[in-house]
Amino acid sequence: MKRLPIIQGEYQVVAEPDVMITTLLGSCIAVCLQDRLAKVGGMNHFLLAEPSGGRQLSAADMQCYGIHAMELLINEMMKRGAIRSRMSAQLYGGANVVSGLGAPIGTNNAAFARRFLEVEGIAVGHTDVGGRQARKVEFLPYLGKARCTYVGDAAPVAPPMPVAAVAGGDLELF
Amino acid sequence: MPAASAIKVMVVDDQASMRAMIRRALQDLGFKDVRDKAGPVEALSAVRSDRVHLIISDYNMPDMDGLQFLEQVRKDPVIGKTVFIMLTGSADKEIVQKAAALGVNNYVVKPFAPAALKEKIERVFGELT
Repeated sequence: MKRLPIIQGEYQVVAEPDVMITTLLGSCIAVCLQDRLAKVGGMNHFLLAEPSGGRQLSAADMQCYGIHAMELLINEMMKRGAIRSRMSAQLYGGANVVSGLGAPIGTNNAAFARRFLEVEGIAVGHTDVGGRQARKVEFLPYLGKARCTYVGDAAPVAPPMPVAAVAGGDLELF
Repeated sequence: MPAASAIKVMVVDDQASMRAMIRRALQDLGFKDVRDKAGPVEALSAVRSDRVHLIISDYNMPDMDGLQFLEQVRKDPVIGKTVFIMLTGSADKEIVQKAAALGVNNYVVKPFAPAALKEKIERVFGELT
């Protein structure tokens, strides 16, 4: 079994058997999508739901936002033959692992993911969100099966640094 | 300096959440007349019957991609000169070059912050009030 670990801001799409996508979640969300007919599946891992209005963000920061993470995942699945109307989702993460930091980030992330999937008309299957514990998610994209296990007891997961921004917008044509 | 509130905009993206996010960003920038469609076919029909000043379109759409959409707009004798800004993925330099050849006015690389969208619009229309 080949394992493809992802961290925040990343995603993987797979259309072959014997491949597992894995990730470790605290307040982040992982959405697992699958098209059963096309046998194409993928998972992302995003940190926050949406950018706030006037905040200046780098491209790398923005990759951590759910709305972009979801679009990248859906587009890549469609490139591999999936059809949006056939996709179903599983939803994990959104724990409030660190208390006393104001708005409950995990709760907000989970609410965003549910709202996004509802707006896009993607059916939601198994969901395990909220609480205070970190989670490990293992997803078999070809089969559409996921396993979610708890990691430690209310252990905050230190988010890794965002990956370096992919060079974008540097094509000076305008 | 043009007033953002006087510029009519059509947003085209197959993802409803992305359309909603762009709408909100434009409204925060002062745009009042923002319409949106899920695909180029519906958008072409809408802007032919009720013209807009600016089209902001995704590239990656299932039925007709952003380049084909741009080509259709530029070929149209009525709406052919509409300002067209394309939203592209981060690794799509080839697409940007093709879009430039087809007459795109500017492009925004996804993911983008609202400030980046404002900057690209202002490069075409001038500083917005």
